[in-house]
Amino acid sequence: MKKILSILMCIGFLCVSLGFAQVEKPSDLKYPPLKYDPPDPKNFRTEFLNGMWGYIQEDHSLPLFDISALIHYGSLYDPEDKMGLASVMSAAMIKGGTKTREGSIIEERIDFIGGSLNFRAVERTATLSLSLLSKDMDEGLKLFFDILMNPEFQEAPLNLEKARLISQLRQANDQPSGILSREYERLIYGEHPLTQQPIQISYESVSSADLKAAHALYFFPKNIILAASGDFDKSELKDKINKIISNWQNKNLKIPSFAKKFPQPEPGVYFIQKQINQGYISLGHLGIEDSNPDYFAVQVMNFILGGGSFTSRITMKVRSDEGLSYNQGSRFRYRWGFPGTFSGYVQTKSSTVGYAISLILDEFNRIRKEPVSDDEMDTAINYYLESFSNSFESSQRTMSAFADLEMTGKPMDYYKTYRDKIRAVTKAKVQEVANKYIHPDKSVVMIVGDFDPCNEGGDKWPGPLDKLGKVHKINLKDPLTGEELK
Amino acid sequence: MKRVFVLFLTMFFIASLIGAAEVQLNVKEHVLSNGLKILMIQKADVPRVVCHIYFKVGSINERPGITGLAHLHEHMMFKGTKLMGVTDFEKHAAIDKKIDKLMNKIYREKFWEADGGDKEKIARLQKEYDELVQSEKQYIIKDDLWTLYMKNGGTGLNASTSNEVTGYYVTLPSNKVELQMWLESDRSMNAYFREFYSEKDVVMEERRLSENRPGFFFNEQVSAAFYAASPYHWGVIGWMDDLRKNTKADLMAFNKRYYVPNNAVAIYVGDLDPQNIIQMAEKYFGRIPKGLDIEPIRTYEPPQYSEKRMYGEGPAPTSLQMMFHTPHAGQPDEAPLSVLASVLGSGGGGGFRGRGGRGGGTGRLYKLLVVEKQLAVSVSASSRAQWYVGAFQFRATPRFDKNVQPEDLEKEIWAEIDKIKKEGVTPEEIQKAKNKFEARFIRSLSSTSGLARTLGRAELHRGWNSVITDLDDLKKVTNDDIKRVAAKYFAKDNSLTAIYKRQGGGRQGGRR
Repeated sequence: MKKILSILMCIGFLCVSLGFAQVEKPSDLKYPPLKYDPPDPKNFRTEFLNGMWGYIQEDHSLPLFDISALIHYGSLYDPEDKMGLASVMSAAMIKGGTKTREGSIIEERIDFIGGSLNFRAVERTATLSLSLLSKDMDEGLKLFFDILMNPEFQEAPLNLEKARLISQLRQANDQPSGILSREYERLIYGEHPLTQQPIQISYESVSSADLKAAHALYFFPKNIILAASGDFDKSELKDKINKIISNWQNKNLKIPSFAKKFPQPEPGVYFIQKQINQGYISLGHLGIEDSNPDYFAVQVMNFILGGGSFTSRITMKVRSDEGLSYNQGSRFRYRWGFPGTFSGYVQTKSSTVGYAISLILDEFNRIRKEPVSDDEMDTAINYYLESFSNSFESSQRTMSAFADLEMTGKPMDYYKTYRDKIRAVTKAKVQEVANKYIHPDKSVVMIVGDFDPCNEGGDKWPGPLDKLGKVHKINLKDPLTGEELK
Repeated sequence: MKRVFVLFLTMFFIASLIGAAEVQLNVKEHVLSNGLKILMIQKADVPRVVCHIYFKVGSINERPGITGLAHLHEHMMFKGTKLMGVTDFEKHAAIDKKIDKLMNKIYREKFWEADGGDKEKIARLQKEYDELVQSEKQYIIKDDLWTLYMKNGGTGLNASTSNEVTGYYVTLPSNKVELQMWLESDRSMNAYFREFYSEKDVVMEERRLSENRPGFFFNEQVSAAFYAASPYHWGVIGWMDDLRKNTKADLMAFNKRYYVPNNAVAIYVGDLDPQNIIQMAEKYFGRIPKGLDIEPIRTYEPPQYSEKRMYGEGPAPTSLQMMFHTPHAGQPDEAPLSVLASVLGSGGGGGFRGRGGRGGGTGRLYKLLVVEKQLAVSVSASSRAQWYVGAFQFRATPRFDKNVQPEDLEKEIWAEIDKIKKEGVTPEEIQKAKNKFEARFIRSLSSTSGLARTLGRAELHRGWNSVITDLDDLKKVTNDDIKRVAAKYFAKDNSLTAIYKRQGGGRQGGRR
């Protein structure tokens, strides 16, 4: 074992301050210019055998190695009678082992060398990621690609993971925030594959053969983009990966097609009973896709409305002015290939639920009716411009971001043109997109809370809640059976 | 007026080589004459600098009656200064004083009178208060500091309070560090707490958010029962009664005592020039007067002398917790206990307050109870040495479908503990734990904000270099150490066992 070496040096400096004038207010501070050009994906894009691509960056600052594989596969592609297949794959991909290795042996080995190996499938993408010390790179690569190419989903670990997933299902109605986000989406998208939830029998029905079939359909070189960074030689890494994947065959990708039409839910209040001392609230409607040309203007508009934390209107009004909540704002959520959701959100004590909702609705209306101020524009635009370089702090995050751009078909000059597109947003455009994409009259208001005190309201906003529109009471479903709970 | 001044700076360059991988951690130190320590690490990946400032104050510096005040104070540090957040300081201050007077009257009525006071009088005073709050609005610039930071590209903008430390964070473009120096030195000297009473409401809402997390109330009681005497007895958020009743005067006394430069460290990590940072620090932070020395907390945790057991029922999943008192950070037994926690491992559980000897499914208890015997959904072990207390904790969730009870898991864990007392663990298990600690440490160096957080906090307790000497101590742990600490701390009269059952069995509906 090497001994830690501490070197202490004491150096006396004689420094003459140059130009450190005292300013009375921070807005008078003058800063030296700073130029920053984002990394260009072209410089990192690397082709591997069989048409697999990757974004690879050497980074010798620490003896580390990171690699991830982004796969176009996810829970949205679960067959209708095998809902939850992708979740089972997430849980069992590594633990289920490969054709030649037990999952527990792989985990043990990765753990022994202080590494981490994870697999997770979400809506339309899956990621296998590995992080370890660069001295263990060769061994790590073998295990990484063995899992990516040859998972076996062995019976015993698979059954154990299914039992654990079913056990997690029992908790699906525990957390008010979890209930709200799930049910809000269900209301906005209706019964659609985007919102379907696995139940006990669907988990139970997933077999090793089903998982292998899904793996065979989606896991092939042309459907995967790698991202890697760390202390290695790029051409050596390329050779090593090519050697491992040389016999990996491509398939024809068959992506199921989905309706993009969603029912327009009746505006009004949707109430889910839970005996807690606050109401958890989301209000809004269907949003937009991030490929929408108005995306940048919507970002700026939402920053001012409720996305820019304490500088945003909703936070200032609901939290700072009124002290009604700790957590509040508005957000546009995005999903690949489908419009996302728009929502205002807040959690507040039962007696101020109606009042908080009314304040958020006022802000929805105000940003549509009045132009935003110069100061608000200045803060929002400068925030995006000045914080831009933050996205590229980590080599691995940058490589993954590039892989993601390519996978989802976004323009590869997305980052290069990003600041110009933000700069181009005007006050008029902000108001235009507010009118185009925020519709208080079409909004649904979903509340998870205790109905009677919420309905009664308080001094500043006495109930009942139907002042906000017709009140629909929603019964939750039993997460194990999918049957409505009475 | 432009002042040219001469600085005599003493800067320590401290480089430490870490472990087999020969990673170097270059930390530059500088101490201002008022006691504020500046730490700097150059890391030029992008032109940004992580700027954190940590004060050695947290919930352990509170007492009954003012619990939650350290955290409330952290909130209030965003509510302006004599220079920031106000258009006309004097005019606003005149109203603010009236507001405080009125609220003192209301508090006396509401909280001092046994019957809750004269309702009509309270309503009358409340009306006056509401009017004053309306009239002060014209002078208040909302979230001035926050807006300035954001306008200048501030990210990671936040603050946090723990049992021991309060931190204020922002990451700025590398040409704008001076803004942080201006704003942070200003709020260290000139804090002026506007809108105190509505911010108390915000913090109460924050507590309610915690309360609505299933199992919160039980866990709060478990912690309070485990820490009987020391100020770890209450949570950082504080008791609701205290949040209602604490006063502006409490807050100001707390500020005066703890928010002094000799009780803080400022740390900068990123694309920076240390000499430039030091010059700016001397100019801005150097003007803050030194405060009085601060005595460390007095009450540590006395021996328990008897076994504690708690039973609860509610809306969270059925679970078992077993907690044991262990030494506080920096004591020789800390390292073997950490290795033992790592060997026993996690495998699905969150560990103690999110920390834990995570085992990625390869921990000994996971293999035994989740995989082999299939009695648990998850099981974790974690060791947490805090500044003045320590705890080793097991957590497990039984398999509901196999009708396993928490008590069954308790027996299994005790059987494993007894085995370890006799035999210890295997050399491979110890080596694995050591490898994991080392790799985790090297990985932690890649995150600028993580590095600032780890070193800043460590600096306030045993010096930032303790993160390296602790790693060295971990590498020296032997199986005899493991057997010794297992025998010493895993005793019934040093433990609290908490058994929690989901109300109404396993099914969970929406109607309760």
